[in-house]
Amino acid sequence: MYHGASMRDLVDFGIEKLEREDVRYGDIRLSEIETEVINVKNGAVEAIKSSESRGYGIRVIDGGWGFASSADLSEKGIEETIKRAKKIARASSKASGKIDIKDIEVFEDTYTTPYEKDPFKVELEEKLDLLMEVDDRLDIDDKIKVRKCNFNAWKTDKIFASTEGAMIEQELVKTGGGLNVNVSDGEDTQKRSYPNAFGGDFHSSGYEFFESLDLLGNAEETAQEGVDLLDAEQCPEGEMDIILNTNQLALQVHESAGHPTELDRALGTEASYAGTSFLTPDKLEDFRYGAENVNIVSDATAQGGLGTFGYDDEGARAKKIDLVKDGLFVGYQASREGAAEVGVDVSGNMRADGWENLPIVRMTNINLEPGDWTKDEIVEETDRGIIFDGIKSWSIDDKRLNFQFGTEAGYLVEDGEITELIKNPTYTGITYEFWKRCDAIAGEEDWRLHGVPNCGKGEPPQTMQVGHGCAPSRFSDIRVGVGEW
Amino acid sequence: MVGTREDFERATDQILDDAEADEVEIRISKNDTALTRYANSRIHQNIGQKDVNISIRAVFGKKIGSATTNSLESEAIKECLSRAETIAKHQREDADFKGLPEPKEGRRSHDNFVEKTKTFSPDERAEKVKEIIDMAKDEGIDRVYGAFKTEAQNLYLANSNGVENFSRLTSSKLTTTAIADWENDQGFGWGEKCSANVEDIDHLEVGRTAVEKGLNNLDPKKIDPGEYDVVLEPLAVKSILQYMDMMGFSARKVQEERSFMKGKFGEQIMDERVNIYDDALDQDMIGYPFDYEGVPKQRVDIIKDGVANEVVYDSYTAGRDEEDKESTGHALPMPSPMSPMALNLLMDTGEQSQQEMIEETEKGILVTRFNYCRPVHPVKGILTGLTRDGTWLIEDGEIKHPLKNLRFTQNLIDAFDNIEGIGKERELFAMGYLPAYFAAPALKIPDFQFTGSTEF
Repeated sequence: MYHGASMRDLVDFGIEKLEREDVRYGDIRLSEIETEVINVKNGAVEAIKSSESRGYGIRVIDGGWGFASSADLSEKGIEETIKRAKKIARASSKASGKIDIKDIEVFEDTYTTPYEKDPFKVELEEKLDLLMEVDDRLDIDDKIKVRKCNFNAWKTDKIFASTEGAMIEQELVKTGGGLNVNVSDGEDTQKRSYPNAFGGDFHSSGYEFFESLDLLGNAEETAQEGVDLLDAEQCPEGEMDIILNTNQLALQVHESAGHPTELDRALGTEASYAGTSFLTPDKLEDFRYGAENVNIVSDATAQGGLGTFGYDDEGARAKKIDLVKDGLFVGYQASREGAAEVGVDVSGNMRADGWENLPIVRMTNINLEPGDWTKDEIVEETDRGIIFDGIKSWSIDDKRLNFQFGTEAGYLVEDGEITELIKNPTYTGITYEFWKRCDAIAGEEDWRLHGVPNCGKGEPPQTMQVGHGCAPSRFSDIRVGVGEW
Repeated sequence: MVGTREDFERATDQILDDAEADEVEIRISKNDTALTRYANSRIHQNIGQKDVNISIRAVFGKKIGSATTNSLESEAIKECLSRAETIAKHQREDADFKGLPEPKEGRRSHDNFVEKTKTFSPDERAEKVKEIIDMAKDEGIDRVYGAFKTEAQNLYLANSNGVENFSRLTSSKLTTTAIADWENDQGFGWGEKCSANVEDIDHLEVGRTAVEKGLNNLDPKKIDPGEYDVVLEPLAVKSILQYMDMMGFSARKVQEERSFMKGKFGEQIMDERVNIYDDALDQDMIGYPFDYEGVPKQRVDIIKDGVANEVVYDSYTAGRDEEDKESTGHALPMPSPMSPMALNLLMDTGEQSQQEMIEETEKGILVTRFNYCRPVHPVKGILTGLTRDGTWLIEDGEIKHPLKNLRFTQNLIDAFDNIEGIGKERELFAMGYLPAYFAAPALKIPDFQFTGSTEF
């Protein structure tokens, strides 16, 4: 309750005021966000942090676009914020041109993330005890200089309402965690993580997902491989087949398929910051993005996906759409405005980081559909190649063409068998040439849905939680071992 | 919206009165951000954000808990304190924690707050943007992109040991990307300016720089990757400084053997003309005079005459150091796994102009800025990234023609040990996602390693 009013009361008040203001379009999105972070490091609890944030953002079209946000949860605060949004919109109209937004079905609905155990109701002691035990199991060698493990949970209650009549209430719960070690022998330093870098893995789920990660059961092996990397051979240079494990392939999909299929990038609205896209509208349904076995979707309905929800932040219902079908570029992640401009469907990808930011086109779960191999078959049928595992370094140009990735570990494959651990593995390529060289994708049994919690985009910078599902895949004749070491 | 110093002091008094903990720290920040984005020569996003954030650290012995809220209402503050204290009671002891900082006298700082920046209106931003759009159109460019941002921030730090600091600052930043079209080709150009005073930003100069670069960047040629001499404009150097900072300049990274500075102190690791230091109070800089624990910011000479000299500390890393160290005033909002960090880096200028560097280059590459830089091996100081928004071939002291963008994979320490020229002027840039600023000159570096190329 805020000044005696519920979240719903405040939204009702805001919409009533917006309707009286005679704006062409208006929406209000009020959110209450709770987070919990526990970081354990080298036997001590580095941080336990609990945060709560409440506020709302108001978006209007009144000549141009205007957006204002505030944490002042009084009726007076809402009235002032509406006035500010209108004033900004009128200023935008000096140079905004004509604004069209595509019609969408208007919903009055509720949505809650399916979960079993509320992560905020699990006793702090239980989480701490588990993480301290994980830390203890990581402590296997003096060369391990930093041991880290973490638990993270987020809960967002939000109400979206628009002057078109939408009224959508959602409760979104996300949970996850991970572990990692930094090792050093005085000459070299390496890092190894489980189940992935960026703090581990995350799902739209309850505490049961954190438990399923089995950090305890994976601590010692991860730590040992970190130590082993110090004495591993340097990644060879040259061209060879590469196999990407799911934790790295998730980022490959993110950078080279997720971002270039964002319609706002393709239309240039991120040109001065995140960049544009080589997948321009003239290429839609007329550009071979990858091999025929490559199928990539945007799926906000994927069970457990970190980018899963009921409705996006302009009221569009979550859906699954094709981005790449049988290797052909066929779809965009599109807002109502972008969809109207290009003549495509609204995809339900408009998301805002918190209540204070403007919704922009963001990935939901961008997934590579499973193929018909098994992971073991892919390795067995590789003469010479490298398996890449665990995100370490990532970079791509501003049209999403030239990329270079480095992973924590590599495994040399010779004559169908894994023969050697290698360090500092890197590979590089051009996006569409790379995906055309995809000659094997593993099937459902090896398919994993990873959560990436730190996708940056927009000005002011926004961080988004997105998901990527994929199975281990092979790419032929890729350049590896970049740079002087 | 509340958020004056008096509001902060009132909240602090309440927290200190109610607290059961042995020590308590209160950090309150208020941000008022306005930003106009434009693309395809029209305004497409225009926002105003206001928020206040209260963070409380409660300490029982060596057990610490922290909680945040964005409400200054009495009940919300009480509940936030209760959460912080509950967490602290459940905490494990951290033997390396030596307590919250004690009060300390700081240096006198210049005023980073400019009223005009704070009151700069949506109409004023829109008018400046429209003038850039019109100017570009007159030059034959129908597509300009960018953002005009102004910010006003208050920061208040207090703790139960008697620390109490309040400061406020403003900043403004204008960027422009111009895309020139010719037949089937596009030429990208970039302009940028940052200042505490929005009236110091010459918007048409920023726009003209982008337009000129865009028009001169049409029909770029592909060049084979390899080693080339480079002339890096100040913005490209800023990216390098930013990643050097992340990879090496923090006491935490040295203590954890994750810094290229580890084991090198006192050694000449860069050219003797290289001086890199952190100083929030430098006249060229925008910064708070104290850090996020309320400790006054010291000048830290990180690279002095090319020698690995010192790194930045917060109170925690100072307390756990093998040597007797004090915080240099470089804590981030705690708790943070990234703290401490140098947020106000400057590199000393040299004696050459950028034009002189070009004229003295037989064959090389001029770089406007870099895109998507990421460490490849932080301890070795290896960074990768790509050129962006204007790259040209230099031959016989002249700019010959634009180049398609290139990827570099380079050991930065080797590059700075190999510097041939340092620009005699430096420019100020904002990092973008932290209140961090970098002042960088142009550099000429031989044998820079380009390892790939792209298609535009």
